[in-house]
Amino acid sequence: MYDNNPVNAMEHPPCRVACPILTDVREYVQLIAERTFKEAYASIRKLNPLPRVCGRICTHPCETACKRGQVDEPIAIAALKRFASDGPWKGRYEADVPDKSTGHKVAVVGSGPAGLAAAHDLAILGHRITIFEALPVLGGMLRMGVPAYRLPKDVVDEEIQAILDLGVEVKTGVRIGEEINFTDLSEQGYKAVFVAIGAHKDQKLGIAGENEFEGVVSAVSFLRAVNQGQNPKTGKKVAVIGGGNTAVDSARCLLRMGAETVHIVYRRSGDEMPAAKEEIEEAVHEGVQIAYLTSPLEILGQNGKVSALKLMKNELGEPDASGRRSPKPVPGSEFTLDVDMVIAAIGQAPDSSFVADKLELTERKKRIIVKGPYTLVTTQPGVFAGGDAVTGPATVVEAISAGKRAAISIDLYLRGEPLPTIEPAEEVKREKLSPALVEKTRNFARCGKISLPAEDRLKGFDEVDAVLSEDLATKEALRCLHCFLGARIDKEKCISCLTCVRVCPLGIPTTNKMGEITIDPFACQACGMCVLECPVWAIDISLNFRSKIALEIEQVISRSQQAEPMIVGFFDLHGNFRSTDVKSLRQDYPNILPVMVFGLRRIDTCDILKAFESGADGVVLAGCPPDTDPFPETADRVKRRIAHARTLLDALGIDGARLEVCDMPEKGIVDKELIDGLIQRIKEPVQASSE
Amino acid sequence: MITLEQKNFEEIEKMTKGYNRLLVLGCETCAAMSFAGGQRQVAELASAIRVARKTSGEQGEVLEEAIARQCEPEFVDLIKDDVAGCDAVLSLACGAGVQLLAERFPDKVILPGCNTLFLGVTEELGVWSERCAGCGNCILDKTAGLCPIARCAKQLLNGPCGGSMNGKCEISKDVDCVWQLIIDRLDRLNRLEMLEEIFPVKDWSPAGHGGPRKMIREDLKL
Repeated sequence: MYDNNPVNAMEHPPCRVACPILTDVREYVQLIAERTFKEAYASIRKLNPLPRVCGRICTHPCETACKRGQVDEPIAIAALKRFASDGPWKGRYEADVPDKSTGHKVAVVGSGPAGLAAAHDLAILGHRITIFEALPVLGGMLRMGVPAYRLPKDVVDEEIQAILDLGVEVKTGVRIGEEINFTDLSEQGYKAVFVAIGAHKDQKLGIAGENEFEGVVSAVSFLRAVNQGQNPKTGKKVAVIGGGNTAVDSARCLLRMGAETVHIVYRRSGDEMPAAKEEIEEAVHEGVQIAYLTSPLEILGQNGKVSALKLMKNELGEPDASGRRSPKPVPGSEFTLDVDMVIAAIGQAPDSSFVADKLELTERKKRIIVKGPYTLVTTQPGVFAGGDAVTGPATVVEAISAGKRAAISIDLYLRGEPLPTIEPAEEVKREKLSPALVEKTRNFARCGKISLPAEDRLKGFDEVDAVLSEDLATKEALRCLHCFLGARIDKEKCISCLTCVRVCPLGIPTTNKMGEITIDPFACQACGMCVLECPVWAIDISLNFRSKIALEIEQVISRSQQAEPMIVGFFDLHGNFRSTDVKSLRQDYPNILPVMVFGLRRIDTCDILKAFESGADGVVLAGCPPDTDPFPETADRVKRRIAHARTLLDALGIDGARLEVCDMPEKGIVDKELIDGLIQRIKEPVQASSE
Repeated sequence: MITLEQKNFEEIEKMTKGYNRLLVLGCETCAAMSFAGGQRQVAELASAIRVARKTSGEQGEVLEEAIARQCEPEFVDLIKDDVAGCDAVLSLACGAGVQLLAERFPDKVILPGCNTLFLGVTEELGVWSERCAGCGNCILDKTAGLCPIARCAKQLLNGPCGGSMNGKCEISKDVDCVWQLIIDRLDRLNRLEMLEEIFPVKDWSPAGHGGPRKMIREDLKL
């Protein structure tokens, strides 16, 4: 089950530590690299009930934390999540719902990502869930806030349906506090309530003219109308006031609805702007103009309609309570902008009036106060709250996280168990990679995005970004630097021979003067050189560990259908091949038994001998093309190691020519001519002259 | 460290032939550091013998084991059951280890899988060279830290000889003349006058010429 405890940043990869739901990013990225996409999807889905949503609109703090970001650019994790979750392999999600219900009824108020995540996890725990939604449709901000060009509605529908299929009941058009209240819920047998009503109430600008003229609209109501296909009236010259994602979404929608010029007016500078950087870039690319360091003073009108916006320039002063530098008006800098529409997007608050007598709210923004950020308990027993209603407008993954946390708390509460006291993880400042290591790490270009050209985008609400192709996704996943999957030294076995120190292409292992070896598990990139060369096998590795390779050799041989000649093939996952190439290899050559490895570096003479010992007639080692090899400096060493194996085979009375080593072709997994040649050599060995 | 190398496979195959249950025994100190007898090389050699036996149709089982040092009786005794269960032990230790095995297991066939080479240093991974001959009477203080016993083909004490040419020994152009090195180093240290002291005839008895050597420390022995 989902464990909500913060993870130790010194033992887990930064991508996972950064994720509010602690997604095992590294695992699914690796599964994609291994071309096992179905498994990658399962890895994502087991934790995240909205993977296709997150693959599109998550603000991906994981990418910000990614180690590769220190080298060139971070892994395109969100795009990989979307690739794994959108693909045809995903099938219908089979959740493990217990046959027998616990009998406890739980009411989830609100059907946004927080409510959906809580409903999902609680249903899997065997509770009976009813979602109460005030609007006629489910999804909360996913449906009412995020525009379709970022998140198509059918994606939202499908993900919600999968959650409802777990047996979750839904009551739409029911506003708690109006049609039904907390007491009613309790009387109807609901033992616990999760309040996840979001923050849908716009805040007023508080400037003159705001309430006088036609053409002043709140962002939430504008986006809601757009998302419901109501085609709201749009001006030609529009100013959007605010710097968050809602402002940017509004601006991009406006361009799609016929606005000629759209200005975002933001009071601080770009550095402080809270909207996602990527979204800002896309908006600018599409033609949105941004007036930074600008505040609205007054909305001017003519004939009852908006005609202009009076603005003033700011400069940045001292940091305020939020840590951001606060804007200070520049005297005499007033100017006006001709506009016929103004959209106010300066933040939203929860519509929490209905709980005001039951729950404690914050003074100004009327957010629901919870006693613990992990337990999400409110002042009312049995009532839990989370998501935007508690935090104010935040990200989808934070909302999912709240939903999951609520599910844990509610489950414990229903079972009468005490809620744990969870301390937030101490923030660990991880040391930066050394410049020498950054220098030695091979750069690979990020393939994170395939986007529609700007002119095509503005024709409608078609999704802007396409899903990555298999080729690109695999390539991207192979950029992962495998934090904490690398070499681990067994100090009891180590004899301080220094081989690891000498053989590491990145200079990671270090020794003290007593021969105690240290390998930094964060810096290590799991190339495997030291693992193999260690003469006493004191080092193992999590990625492709030694015993796993040995076991796989045994397994492929035991599974083989007596095809002749039997050839064990070690294939480097860094090659340019697809999952279908592996399939057709199996079809075309049922006698080749593939073992997939992260680099031929992983294969020792022992492994080659093991294959022959287990009955193989030949061994082929197919390495990736040099341009895709993350450790090209090790290639020569690997070649010499194989030459040693070949000499030994000759001495054993097995023709060394039965060991074939090659680079993979530019595309595909193996050169057929080469394989046919090897088969030929095995079938008809050149007889040594008897003279 | 003591450097050693595995014997070539043909020789090993020949000497192990006919021993049905063969134990390949590694030594995880000097032999491991020489890439001749650590666990990795034990696995490789054992696997090679199995493959060769399979190819030639010979029956039998090849077992693998390794201990920290075959030159210590306590370690050796830890594997007495494994040794008892096999027909022969192929030791991947230096000659000292092989002999201690033979001593502790008087009824067992003990075979050497390695050739013991020299006392030396690691120049770099995969390259070792001789530095000490174990002569029992160190004179490195007089020869600028470079040993003419281990590194001069003639073990000259008052070299160089006439075969020194361009800093190289007459036996091979790849071998440095250690006396040239000694002189160069003394020059650098400004101690060339040390060469004026003539070494007397060397007493080779501590070097083993007086018979097998033994060292006893009365303060330590039990």
